Amino acid sequence: MIPTLQLFLIISAALFCIGLLAALSRRHAIFILLGIEMMLAAAGLNFIAFWRFGPQPAPPTGVMFTIFAIAIAAAEAAVGLALVIAVYRHYRTTNIDQIDELKG
Amino acid sequence: MNYLELLQLAAPEAIVVVAALLVLTMGLFAGRKAAGVSVAVSSQQISGAGFPATSAADAGALLAALGLAIAAAAVVRLPIHSDLFHGMLVISPLNSLFKIIVLALAFFTIILARSERAFFNKAEYFAIILLATVGLMLLVESEELLMIFIGLELTGLSLYILTGFEKARRTSAEAALKYFLFGSMASAFTLFGLSLIYGIAGTTSLAAIAARLASITIEPLLLAGIVMTLIGFAFKIAAAPFHLWAPDAYQGAPVSSAAFIASGSKVASFVVLGKILLTAFAGLHGDAGWHAMAAGWTPIIAVLSALSILIGNLAALAQKNVRRLLAYSAVAHAGYTLLGLIAGGRSGFSATLFYTTLYAVTLLGAFGVVLLVRRETGGDDLANFRGLSARAPLLAGSMAVFLLSLAGLPPLAGFFGKFYLFSAAVNAGTRHDLLWLVVLALFGSLISLYYYLIVLKATFVDRADASGVTFHADFLSRLTIAFLAAAVLFFGIVPGSLLDRILLSF
Repeated sequence: MIPTLQLFLIISAALFCIGLLAALSRRHAIFILLGIEMMLAAAGLNFIAFWRFGPQPAPPTGVMFTIFAIAIAAAEAAVGLALVIAVYRHYRTTNIDQIDELKG
Repeated sequence: MNYLELLQLAAPEAIVVVAALLVLTMGLFAGRKAAGVSVAVSSQQISGAGFPATSAADAGALLAALGLAIAAAAVVRLPIHSDLFHGMLVISPLNSLFKIIVLALAFFTIILARSERAFFNKAEYFAIILLATVGLMLLVESEELLMIFIGLELTGLSLYILTGFEKARRTSAEAALKYFLFGSMASAFTLFGLSLIYGIAGTTSLAAIAARLASITIEPLLLAGIVMTLIGFAFKIAAAPFHLWAPDAYQGAPVSSAAFIASGSKVASFVVLGKILLTAFAGLHGDAGWHAMAAGWTPIIAVLSALSILIGNLAALAQKNVRRLLAYSAVAHAGYTLLGLIAGGRSGFSATLFYTTLYAVTLLGAFGVVLLVRRETGGDDLANFRGLSARAPLLAGSMAVFLLSLAGLPPLAGFFGKFYLFSAAVNAGTRHDLLWLVVLALFGSLISLYYYLIVLKATFVDRADASGVTFHADFLSRLTIAFLAAAVLFFGIVPGSLLDRILLSF
């Protein structure tokens, strides 16, 4: 099977939807974080695919975008895990349904 | 193009980054020393204020404020027009003006944060405020998707940390986690949307995207890209239905963080959102008129705006906590501000920028009062504001100025902000098509007057439970709040002083 742009877009859309589903349905904060990372990865795949199948030669904007997106996702994971730990210290749980002091 | 030129044009950002690193280094040494002291005294003074290094914190605030002031001076010295790397760093009068506004907002935030009760390492806190400011400056000055995304993330990540900074309090951590989860999901949507836009336009510079999109028809993939990008920005500006994080973050965060989220972050987001919509997507305007709905981004923004005005104002009615009330009113104000972008053009965009700047100044002042009240009474519910006018007339008077300006009463700044917004919206198009939205916004302002007056009733009419207690507030934060109140009054009496600047800088 010859890889085409459509194939990559379908894969990245599927990856994004799986990530979104995980982020919305899971109650454990770290699983939600995993889902979000999947969504970011899907966007990265898109950038690479659009660059690869776009008119060549093109400046590697898509590749650059992906590299930056990966770095930002890593920073996001670091901040996210730190916040999960901070919450765990107070609530002794990471289930977001039980972290509900603020409401109204 | 050489590195020296890059350093010259990016000097303000470089200065703020250097200031942040200096403050951080200083905090490291001060923190060590303070930790040694607190071990010695902790057995007696567990209930006392946690972090004893107040003089070190003051020095950190001074250094941070100095860095911001020098950066603002560097912005003034920049060339008037310049463009690096096809829009990655654009210097124009508008961008420079908003860089200075963002720096000023950060400056006042740092002064207010100084008087926050010391329960954390203040130097680190100031350093992160400075890093968030760098993100805001990048957001304001870049007209290129990659830099915009980096700016969004730098701001976002810094603000999540600022929200969770009060480690000893449960609600701070909870608010930070909620803010983070909503925020990073929104940024994933934005990144995916940007990737689709890049794929269709083949470029990431806003001007080039506009040129490319002008020649192609709207296709589903492009529409999906636009909608997903807008979701991310709707989150940033706290527009309904993407506002769910705002009440929790505003209530749970340290007050000065909430003030910065509500002021600086919002101004920069509106600047960049306006640039994306009115520059890159100029050809996909569509129509949000009542009888003439046409596909494009305006109907989407119109729906966001209408929902924000309704949900924000109605939810604010039921609040007992002043910070939560301000959060819901922020949602409503995001709705009003979007009106200018829907109206579009020079008058619409300048009305949006004018309003969001005034709003930021007003909200910063209001949060300043909340900070001092919280510091004194230990809470920020309506009950904590009882009898404030007797104990601290200056703060109560300033609060009245801020809240009445938010409600849009003349001669305060909020009135003229709303006036320009609504008149831009009414005059847009040929048949006053946006009238439905303006009527809704007027109705919303009417509702908002009620809940602002409830806060003022607590402040001025209700008697305090423990009266006669003097109100401790340091001179500098009193001065800042009085200055912000004077600014709100000044921009109300002479609105042209700011509006003309914005108009001239286009």
